[in-house]
Amino acid sequence: MEASAARLRLAADPSHDPAPDLNDLLTRVGRGDEDAFADLYDATGSAVFGLARRVIRDPSRAEEVAQEVYIQVWQSAARFDPARGNAKSWLLTLAHRRAVDAVRHDQAATNRENRYDWSSGPDFDEVEETVTITLEHEQVKRCLDGLTNLQREAVTLAYYQGYTYAEVATALDANTATIKTRMRDGIVRLRDCMGVSA
Amino acid sequence: MTIDLHSLMAPYALDALEPDERERFEAHLDQCVDCQLELGGFMATAIRLGDAASHTPPSGLRDRLLAEVSVTPQQRPIVTSLSERRGLRHALPRLAVAAAVLVAAVGVGGFLVERDHAQDERRENLAISAVIGADDVQSVAQTFDVGGSVKMYMSAAEDSAVIFAKDLPRPEDGKVYQVWMIDGSGPTSQGTFETDGQMIMEGVAGADRVAVTVEPKGGSDQPTSPPIATITV
Repeated sequence: MEASAARLRLAADPSHDPAPDLNDLLTRVGRGDEDAFADLYDATGSAVFGLARRVIRDPSRAEEVAQEVYIQVWQSAARFDPARGNAKSWLLTLAHRRAVDAVRHDQAATNRENRYDWSSGPDFDEVEETVTITLEHEQVKRCLDGLTNLQREAVTLAYYQGYTYAEVATALDANTATIKTRMRDGIVRLRDCMGVSA
Repeated sequence: MTIDLHSLMAPYALDALEPDERERFEAHLDQCVDCQLELGGFMATAIRLGDAASHTPPSGLRDRLLAEVSVTPQQRPIVTSLSERRGLRHALPRLAVAAAVLVAAVGVGGFLVERDHAQDERRENLAISAVIGADDVQSVAQTFDVGGSVKMYMSAAEDSAVIFAKDLPRPEDGKVYQVWMIDGSGPTSQGTFETDGQMIMEGVAGADRVAVTVEPKGGSDQPTSPPIATITV
């Protein structure tokens, strides 16, 4: 094991630059490179844990979910095809899906409407106080601010609280078709605001 | 006639679907090149939302992960074979990798590989979407003893069924899985696949059951081995 780690470290050496190419790291993880896995974790751990924590809220549960995400990444990295896309997108998509599944599972017996704070609306402010402020974050906040209240509620209740669109409809006392439309309009507007290519 | 699966795209990108709807949407997605293109932008947008919540993880997590991966085996790469298309245009190699989420996340690029085939298969794809989106759609799933699973969606109104096979162990060299629809007059081949596949079966009204057998490459005219799975229609 040690011998192979040494060999892998040697192989990894040339790409030891400050901003590691995540796709390259993930490809190497797929070949069993534990050093690459450590580098990948160092480069993405805050994003994955932060997203899980945002959705789940309970930090220790979020840590469990982040751990599951990275173990899944380790196990299935060989199936990642860098030609098809972006390692960070893959990680965050996995993390969000798992976080949402966890929060739904954990709260299956809870009346979730009670969790919704009707006085202040979805609390994106909480994101603001706990996150590392980055340029991307400023942009996200600005673009969310550019949505109508109805669009923003529909998008953030789903994405940051893990509500299904049917639950969003119940929480906001609207019908499901309306909520789906608001989500769609909201995403389209965010996409254009963020300059994501359609 | 059909529910509007397209309207589920935004909720899908936000992970706001129930598991069953998620599955139906992903099945639809496999057929819909336009949806894949638009979904790529929606997913990328959702990821920006996700990336805005970063928070330093607890310090112990790194060490625990490194300890765990050192004793955790890895999955092997998936090799997608197009060779099995021969003679059986109904058997589309399933693009969705084990976790459909992977395909959705990495987006559009992966699907474009298959785009050349998309026109040929458009009519068939529409038929598949019609079945999985039909109001009267019913589904039945079965897990194989050998690993992997099949799921079948049926619609009496469309007189059709769609079968999805997923994650079966690769058959021994020179062998494939073959799907049969069985009615009063006996089994009719519906197509073959290696580890993953999907196919549409028309005229299911008279069928009793659907069976999967292991057959020589290229498929057989009639089953030559006992079924490894049978689904009652």
